[in-house]
Amino acid sequence: MGRKYLALFRSAWMLSLEYRAEGVVWMMTNLMSIIMLVVWLSISHGGPVGGFSSGDFVAYYMVGLIVRQVTGVWASWGLSDDIREGALSPQLVRPIHPIHRHVAANWAEHVMRLTMLLPIVAVVLIITPDARLYLTPISIAAFMLSLLGAWLVSFLSDYAIGILSFWTSQATAFTQAMQGLKVVFSGILAPLQMFPAAMQGALNWLPFRYMLAFCNEILLGQTRDERLLFGLAVQWAWVLFFFILVRILWKLGARSYGAVGA
Amino acid sequence: MPFAFFISMAYQIEVTHLSKHYQVHEKEPGLMGSLRSFVARKYRAVKAVDDVSFNIGQGEMVGFLGPNGAGKTTTLKVLAGLLYPTSGKATVLGFTPNKRENAYLKQFTLVMGQKQQLMWDLPAQETFLVNQAIYEIPRAQYDATIKELDDLLELGPIMKKQVRKLSLGERMKCELAAALLHRPRVLFLDEPTIGLDVTMQARIREFIAEYNRRYGATVMLTSHYMADVTALCDRIIVIDKGRLFYDGNFRALIERVAPYKIIKLQLAQPTTAEALAQFGQVESCNGLTAVLHVPRATATESAARLLSQVKVEDVTFEEPPVEDIIREVFAGIGKDEARGAR
Repeated sequence: MGRKYLALFRSAWMLSLEYRAEGVVWMMTNLMSIIMLVVWLSISHGGPVGGFSSGDFVAYYMVGLIVRQVTGVWASWGLSDDIREGALSPQLVRPIHPIHRHVAANWAEHVMRLTMLLPIVAVVLIITPDARLYLTPISIAAFMLSLLGAWLVSFLSDYAIGILSFWTSQATAFTQAMQGLKVVFSGILAPLQMFPAAMQGALNWLPFRYMLAFCNEILLGQTRDERLLFGLAVQWAWVLFFFILVRILWKLGARSYGAVGA
Repeated sequence: MPFAFFISMAYQIEVTHLSKHYQVHEKEPGLMGSLRSFVARKYRAVKAVDDVSFNIGQGEMVGFLGPNGAGKTTTLKVLAGLLYPTSGKATVLGFTPNKRENAYLKQFTLVMGQKQQLMWDLPAQETFLVNQAIYEIPRAQYDATIKELDDLLELGPIMKKQVRKLSLGERMKCELAAALLHRPRVLFLDEPTIGLDVTMQARIREFIAEYNRRYGATVMLTSHYMADVTALCDRIIVIDKGRLFYDGNFRALIERVAPYKIIKLQLAQPTTAEALAQFGQVESCNGLTAVLHVPRATATESAARLLSQVKVEDVTFEEPPVEDIIREVFAGIGKDEARGAR
């Protein structure tokens, strides 16, 4: 499998170098986080808001940029097109599941954009005096694990939506709805601590927190010990849930694949 | 070697009572039609393949003929594991295609003239490398196969150019190469020459024939170009409206449907149709040129008689165009159905 991935990754990497214009679109998605950071900085000017100082906001949104990059997925668009136009057919007759091509494409983009993003984030964190990260071996390890989980929850939920294209030709409408919910409830708009307590309780059980905010909280030292363990358990339960969902949906979908015009 | 004999005699493709029905949603034309279809969709069952059975042995090249929408592509898709049969059974190399086991996927290929597997924005070479990894082709075998394909298809410079910058013909060559890198034992070719010019069609045909000779591969081919089928296939399967109409030797079909040869005459002096009628059925006659249909069995004899009795400037013998024959076959299907309805 390693060699297969290497080959897929290599071609995906070359493709992403072909499409440089997409970089512009990517800048726009980051703009949203930057704007929210500026908004929160101006609000927290007079003093901490909801326990967040200005420095905390900088740290939160800088870590958030990286997490958002890693959890950025768009496989459902391509998958949906492929199913509708029958372009899935050539992929289905190859001895590798089409999902691996999407994973490779996703990570090819991540690697390229992270190499650009990481230095910028590092510089901002260093020059902002009170932007502090909580860096211990445990918090770093937990962050990495949560980051992998966040990517899996994002990717698999997105893929599950893409698979709906086997039945409806407008699955991308669900993708957009999902992206909207993600912006609000994953912690991009505001750290989840800013939400009313009752809502926070609900968000602890929904998948959105585990696509972004949870990772930020770990690296800011806001979620530790048993709350950290609880979060990881819920996150990986969602990973398992979406994994099984993707498998079931795929099995059913492939059955009803019409291979239109292919 | 009775065992080897058994292997070579076993069918590689077995299709028994295969049916595939679709639910198609119908939309009336225009905006109102769209609205109506938005509120309440109408569905109609289409029998794309209806109770079709046939077997194909190893190394056979079978042409799959039928008008548009006859069910050719649907059958190929079932055999390639893309579609699940509604009823009946299909096995290829002993596998049930729709299970899509890797062991099966590694042994056949599906080439669709209208769909591509090549990555559009990269050179074809990159797709080859991905396929090498995915099909787990050992390096030495990969190099050897590439060299062979290069000899047969002259891939040299074109596999290094971005696919989107290739001509249709060049792209098809690369498409075939990508599809054959893993040396499949069974080839499903759906309109492999569509849109290509005559020379390129001939090249692709030669290549398919050569691949079949070299590897004893089994080939199932659909094409709108009759020349593809006449050049490659001894056996044809004709389906129409999802139903099997003919399965057998191509020559035999031609002799059944068109038991005549065509004689074209350039006459030295004006002659009437009546005067020529004794030699065969006169299709046209306008003074100095005439076209006759003569029964196949007595063609030589009639021609000899004709040449001795009529002053002829030039004469050519032709086989009836296969297109016409197939058209007659399908017209026959229509008649049979009309008769059945009555």
